[in-house]
Amino acid sequence: MPDDRLLSVPPSPAFWAAVVLYAGAAIGLLSGFLRSRPRWTRVARLVVVAAFVCHGVDIGWRGVDSVHPAASVREALGFLAWIIAGGYLAASIRNRIDLAGAVLVPMVVVVLAAARLSPTGQPQDDLTLLGRIHISLATIGVALFGLASALAFIYLLEERNLKRKRFDTASWKAPVESLAGLDGMGQRLVAAGFPVFTVAMVLGMIWTTQRGSSMGRPEYLAAVITWVAYAGLLGGRLGLGWRGRRAAYVTLVGFAAALTVLAIYFVRRWVGG
Amino acid sequence: MSASLFVVGLSWRTAPVAVREHLAFAEDELGPVLAEVRSSSGVAEAMLVSTCNRVEVYGAAAPDDGARAVAAVRRALVARRAPVPREVAAALYEHVGDPAVAHVFKVAAALDSLVVGEAQILGQLKDAHARAVAAGAAGPILGRCLERAWGAAKRVRTETAIARGAANVSTVAVDLAARVFGALAGKRVLVVGAGKMSTLAARHLRAAGVTELVVTNRSPERAAALAVELGATAQPWERLGELLAAADVVVSSTGARQPVLTRALMKQVTKARRWRPMVIVDIAVPRDADPEVGELDGVYLFDIDDLERVVAANLAERGKAASVAERIVEVEVAQFGRWLRAQKVVPTIRALRDHFAAVGAVEADKLCALLARKELSPGQREQAVRRSIELVVARLLHHPQMALKSDDAETLAGAVRRLFPIETVEAEAGASEAPGTAGAPSAESTPAAGPAPRSIAAGG
Repeated sequence: MPDDRLLSVPPSPAFWAAVVLYAGAAIGLLSGFLRSRPRWTRVARLVVVAAFVCHGVDIGWRGVDSVHPAASVREALGFLAWIIAGGYLAASIRNRIDLAGAVLVPMVVVVLAAARLSPTGQPQDDLTLLGRIHISLATIGVALFGLASALAFIYLLEERNLKRKRFDTASWKAPVESLAGLDGMGQRLVAAGFPVFTVAMVLGMIWTTQRGSSMGRPEYLAAVITWVAYAGLLGGRLGLGWRGRRAAYVTLVGFAAALTVLAIYFVRRWVGG
Repeated sequence: MSASLFVVGLSWRTAPVAVREHLAFAEDELGPVLAEVRSSSGVAEAMLVSTCNRVEVYGAAAPDDGARAVAAVRRALVARRAPVPREVAAALYEHVGDPAVAHVFKVAAALDSLVVGEAQILGQLKDAHARAVAAGAAGPILGRCLERAWGAAKRVRTETAIARGAANVSTVAVDLAARVFGALAGKRVLVVGAGKMSTLAARHLRAAGVTELVVTNRSPERAAALAVELGATAQPWERLGELLAAADVVVSSTGARQPVLTRALMKQVTKARRWRPMVIVDIAVPRDADPEVGELDGVYLFDIDDLERVVAANLAERGKAASVAERIVEVEVAQFGRWLRAQKVVPTIRALRDHFAAVGAVEADKLCALLARKELSPGQREQAVRRSIELVVARLLHHPQMALKSDDAETLAGAVRRLFPIETVEAEAGASEAPGTAGAPSAESTPAAGPAPRSIAAGG
C-alpha cells in the first residue's frame, strides 16, 4: 500500500523524455522564429505535443504512486509547466503564436528544472482534501495567468516594434498574431483564470482558518494583490474600455504578484519552514 | 518514346518593356499564335505564356528534334510580328532539355519574376496551360512537367518566406493593418483625399476583406467620383473628426501643405474611440499627419518612407528565401528529369515483360496438359515440373547467351552483372561454359532452348 502522504517520487522515464523533448522543442521554436524557418517551428510544435504526452504520462505515473499534483511545491510546479504547455498547444491550433511558443516552451523547461531542484519539504499532516483542491485550482489559475502574461509580454514587444517602426526584427519576419489577436487571447485567458483563482483564494482562506494559521503571511498579501490586479483588469476592460498596452502591463503586474507567492512558498520549503 | 522539353521566349531579364511590347500578344491573338507554334516543324506539344513581364513558348519535341523545334518556334514568333526590331530577336532566349525544365519550374515558383515570390505568375501559367489543353496543343509531357512545376511552386511558397510580406507600397497598408487587427473583415476604412496611391491602397484593403469603405475629400465631386470607383460611401469633409473616430484604418493622401490630422484633432479622436487601436497610413507628401500623432495611445502612424522601408525589408527577406527556394527547385527538377528519362525505356520494359509472359504461358499450357494425364506417377509429375521450369529458363536465356558471345560481349557482360544479382568467379575469357550451371541447360546442350524445343511430354 503506497504511503498516502508521499510528497514526491523519483521521476519516471517519461519525465526525462519530456524534459529532453521540451528542451529540443524550445531550441527548435527559438531557432525557427529567429531564423524565419516555419518548417522548424512546425516540427518543434509536434515535438511539444510528444513532450506534453510524456509529461502527462509522468504525472499519471506519480498519481498511481499516490503523489498528487498538489502534494508539494515540486509537484505543483511540474503540474504548472504541464498546463502551460497544454495551453500553448491549444492556443497554437488556431493562432499564429510562434513567438509565444519561443517564450513559453523555454519557460516550461525552466519551470520543470525548478520543480526538480526544489525540495519536497516535510509531509503536511493537515493537507486535507480542501487544501489539495485549493492548491490545484491555484496552480491552474496561475498557469492561465502565466499564459496571459506571456502573451502580454509579446504584445508589448510587438507594439513597441510597430510604434518605433522597426521592420527588421525577427517578429516582423515571422508570422505572428496581430496585436488585437494577442490582446483578445490574453483577455480570454485572464477571464478563464480569474474565477478559478478566486475559488482557490476562498478555499485557501477557509483552509487557513481551519488550520488556525495566521492570515498575516506575506504570500497571502501577494495572492490578494494578484487577485486585485486581475479583478481590476477585468473590470477595467469591461467598464472603462482598457485594452492593449495598459491591459498588458496590469496582466504582468498580476502575474509578478502570483510568482511572488510561488517564490515565497519555494523559499519556505527550501529553508524548511 | 521520350521527349525533349524546350523554352523559347523573352522576359524582363533580357528585354526592356520597349522590346517586350513588340512581342506581347493580346488575349485574342493567343489562340492563333499557339496554333501556329504548335504546327511548327518538330513541335509535339506547346503552350504560350504572354504577360507584361514575359512572352514564352514552352514545348515538347521528339528526343532529337529539340533544336529543330526551337528554331521553328523562334521563326514563328518573330514572323508573327514581322518586321520586328533587331533587339527582339537578340532578346529571345532558348533552353532545351534540363535547362528548359529548370526554367519552367523557376518561373512557376516566381523565382524568375521581377518581384521574386509574386503570386500572379502561377495563375497566369495555369491559365496558359488550360488554354493550350483546350486547343489540343498541350499533351502529357507538358502536362506532367507543369504538374511537377506547380508542386515545386507550392513547396517553395510553404517552406520558404519567399511570398511573405507586401512587395509594393500600395499593399503595405494591408500588411500594417493586419499586424494590428488580424482579419480586416468588419473593419472600417476611411480614405482621406483622393490621391492615386490612396485609391490603390483602398483597393487592396477592399480585396483583403474590408467591407466598409468611406471616402472624404475637400472637393465633394471628387469624393463622390472616387466613392463610385471604389464602391465606397462619400462623406462631407466637414465631418472629418467624426469619420476619424469611427474608422479603424485611415489612408490619407490630400494635397494639403499643412497637416490635416493634427495632434489636437487626433487626441480628441482617440478619446472618442476610447483608445481603440487605429492605423493611419499617410501617403501624402507633404505629410497629412503630424508626426506626433504616432505617439498617441492606440494610434499606429506610418508615412510614405515607412512604407518604402517595409517594402525594402520584405524584398530583402524574399531575396534570402530565394536561395533556399532554388535548392527546392533543383531537387524537383532532378526528380522530373529522372521521370522523363525513365519514359524512354518504358516501351522496352513493356516488351520484355510481354516476352517473358509469352514464354512462360507456352510452357505452362504444355505442363498443364501433361499433368492432366492421370497415368503419371508422382515421380513423373515432379520430373515434368522441373523439366518445364528448366525449359522456361533455357528459352529465356537463349538470346542473351548468344548475344554475350558477340563482339560486344564485354559491354553486355557488364550490363548483365548490373541487371542480375550475380558474381563471376573466373575471368570471362578463360571460363569454359559448363553445361547445366546455375541449374539451367546451356543453349548448346539443350535443344529446347532453340527455336524448336523438345517436348516435355516426350520426356515424361
